[in-house]
Amino acid sequence: MTGAAPPATARLRRLQAVGVLSGFAAGAWLGAAEAPTKVVTLGISPVAISLVMVLGVFLARWSLPALIRGTANIGVDVRHAPHLVAWALMAGCLWAVANTLTIFAIRDIGLSIAFPLWNTNSLLGIVWGAVLFNELRGAGRARWLGVAGGATAMFAGALVLAAASPAQAPAGHAVRGIVAAIGAGVLWGTMYIPYRKAYLTGMNPLSFVTFFTIGELGMMSVLALTYLGGPAGTWRELVGARGVLFWLLLGGFIWVVGDLFQQYAAKYIGIGRGIPLSNTNQLWGLLWGLLVFGELAGADRTTYVQVVGGSLVMALGAAAIALSTAREMELRHWRAAAEREAARYGVDRAYVDARLAGEDPEARRGRSVWDWLIVGTATAVFVAFAAGARAPQLTIHHGWAAGLVLALLALLGGGGWALWRTTRFG
Amino acid sequence: MPDRSDPTVPVPPWWRAILGDAQFWIPLTMLVAGLLLLRWVA
Repeated sequence: MTGAAPPATARLRRLQAVGVLSGFAAGAWLGAAEAPTKVVTLGISPVAISLVMVLGVFLARWSLPALIRGTANIGVDVRHAPHLVAWALMAGCLWAVANTLTIFAIRDIGLSIAFPLWNTNSLLGIVWGAVLFNELRGAGRARWLGVAGGATAMFAGALVLAAASPAQAPAGHAVRGIVAAIGAGVLWGTMYIPYRKAYLTGMNPLSFVTFFTIGELGMMSVLALTYLGGPAGTWRELVGARGVLFWLLLGGFIWVVGDLFQQYAAKYIGIGRGIPLSNTNQLWGLLWGLLVFGELAGADRTTYVQVVGGSLVMALGAAAIALSTAREMELRHWRAAAEREAARYGVDRAYVDARLAGEDPEARRGRSVWDWLIVGTATAVFVAFAAGARAPQLTIHHGWAAGLVLALLALLGGGGWALWRTTRFG
Repeated sequence: MPDRSDPTVPVPPWWRAILGDAQFWIPLTMLVAGLLLLRWVA
């Protein structure tokens, strides 16, 4: 049985360009998600912080797809590829366990050591992409070097930036913290297997995340109940933190915008390229810390040299990856991997081919009452928590904040417009 | 591997296809290992 004809080269190049833009937009928004969490002071359990952020993520992961595309389209995806629901739940569970591990890693060895250790997830993503899904096969030496070298340069840049980071290691258990950080990186790197499975089969990212987040919230709730002392202990933590809950929910919401771009990057340029590009989030997080919150005020010259040098190395690595997009020979191998998935799970080839080409012939336009109810409920929850939020007791440089927000909006507008024009958010 | 997209070939349920997919066991193994690691770390 044969599917539709492969898309024309010009369209494939457009999809690759959209994927690269999505990767950069993901980095900016994922990095910005750190900003609201900076107003949260110590005294709240890290597991409680993670739980509330995941609640914000859950609200955003249901309301944004409902707003962008309408939930009716999720049913179309589930009918064609029901197995992907299980894969999405699995990915959500992996995310929750990895995120909790990072919290304990920060507790034991500090952010500056832990961050680059778990950032190795993108290197593992390249390995899984190449070994399991034919990524970089037939890509040629120059593109291999661009992707692997670029990701390695980004890792090196991350190490330098982390060394300059103001968040230093507390006294703790070094071995335990290092193992936790590496474990988080391995789990996140492995989480990209379900991502690639879903997108090689043609699932829409907006459908994937709605099931992903059920696994995420379910697993996070189990972990919170386990580590916070049951329902009573969890409730006590949440009540104690009520003044900052809004900022954590907001952090989760902003994170989802970045994650949606990351999902589109994974779909159109693969995990080997999409994940390293979205890992530029560390650069953006640092920009927020430096410019808006003045975290390096009074730092010595060495620290500034580290920040500039690390940022340049990271940017060069990202540029190398962005310039190494897949060409026809490699895309043929991608299609072979997609055909293998379609055959294994009995998915209609025409559905797979159309979705891989960023087309969605069965798309239902418009929103239902159900969609508006989801959007309205999520908005009401955010407004209610905002009403009870405490204003941050921090010095904030509003000019820089406005500049970074403008940059975020420009990437949101540019990335969103490109996705709409090329794929209709397909 | 039989062509499951051929409508004339009987297709086993999707959950059986998942269990028969070697790639499924990689993330599942990692998830269990991660939970055990968390138990040790926390």
